[in-house]
Amino acid sequence: MANPRALDKRRKSIRNIRKITRTMELIATARFKKAMERAASATDYTRRITKLVGDLTRAGLEVSHPLLEQRDATNRAVLLVLTANRGLCGGYNGNVLRLSVQRKKELDELTGGRTVIEVSGKRGISGLKFRGIETGESFTQFDDQPKFEQVEAIANRYLEDFILGRIDRLDVAYTRFVSASRQEAVVETLLPLGKLDVAAAAQPTRGATAAAQSESAQQDIYEFVPSAASILEEVVPASFKVKLFKCFLDAAVSEQISRMVAMKSATENASDMIKMLSRTYNRARQSQITGQIMEVIGGVEALKS
Amino acid sequence: MANLQVVVVTPECTTLDQQAESVSVPLMDGEAGILAGHAPMIGRLAPGELRVSGAGKSGSYYVDGGFVQVTENVVSILTGRCVPVNQIDRGAAQQLLDKTQISASDKAELVEIKNKTIAQARAQLRLATGSRG
Repeated sequence: MANPRALDKRRKSIRNIRKITRTMELIATARFKKAMERAASATDYTRRITKLVGDLTRAGLEVSHPLLEQRDATNRAVLLVLTANRGLCGGYNGNVLRLSVQRKKELDELTGGRTVIEVSGKRGISGLKFRGIETGESFTQFDDQPKFEQVEAIANRYLEDFILGRIDRLDVAYTRFVSASRQEAVVETLLPLGKLDVAAAAQPTRGATAAAQSESAQQDIYEFVPSAASILEEVVPASFKVKLFKCFLDAAVSEQISRMVAMKSATENASDMIKMLSRTYNRARQSQITGQIMEVIGGVEALKS
Repeated sequence: MANLQVVVVTPECTTLDQQAESVSVPLMDGEAGILAGHAPMIGRLAPGELRVSGAGKSGSYYVDGGFVQVTENVVSILTGRCVPVNQIDRGAAQQLLDKTQISASDKAELVEIKNKTIAQARAQLRLATGSRG
């Protein structure tokens, strides 16, 4: 039987760990709620932008913009990988990294090895270093509440590079937030934008929007100041920026959820372990006591005879 | 007369949602005033001052370009940034202006970006100075 004292020591340390994981779970829950609220308000902006695009296309405008056009040859590509600054969040970072390594290979084939990986998050930086993949620019300033200004600065740089032809394609690997119980690592192509999603605007998401939709369908004649083409010129970069921002927000929300789930199971495992250790400890203690009693009885018997 | 509803939305949050009597927005080709009963309109904004005046609350804000959409007495403004005029960071704007002005831009696209940045910085400085005087 194991040493009861050692068992007790181990049980105590696991109890401490459980306390820590429990706290981390609570913190992640609080942060998740905050991040979720931010994501919801960003959705409002996206919805309005898509509605604006819908109104523009209904006005019979030909949607064409350099950012929307597919390039004939992809000579240079950038893959932006969004990971967390901190670990202890289950498979969150690993999943994104695995996908991005795979995509990097595909892009390398397409571009002949001229693909630059840019990473956000310390975990991603160290993970790619470990895999022996060279990275270009890296960012660590994004926490659980990414600021639009920070994202915009990056977005502007990509836009400039794309328009000047320094890059032909921009992919983003991040964890998409589907629902509170489902997040998946995905790689999306953000530049060229392809089509502006007018279809999404046509789908009424809620009752209120449905009403607004039917209203705008009735009177969809607008005055465009200065002209529809000029507005389109501005809409396309704006919708790219907000798309990129949404990626960052989704990544932040998913990170908190993953951490919450990971810490929850860690707490549960710790509880199970404590239970098992307690059982072994009690048994060991009991057998020790029995042994001691036997010794005492044996001594008494020896004295009697 | 029916009142106007003004909604200012940035990607981060809805910064303003209130009733107003009149709104004046900085369009690309000059300022436009909007009263109740305005025709449906979509306009492109330039960096400049957004003024909201009404019985309840009046205010003056700096917007960083974007769009304005007017439908049935609802004025929605989509912009990257919207800050009250008295909270503009004057130093940062001046720095941005100085930095942009000395940078060389050799291509047409770059010149466009440079001009836009300069316009944003100048608009901020102008508003910041105006509010102080």
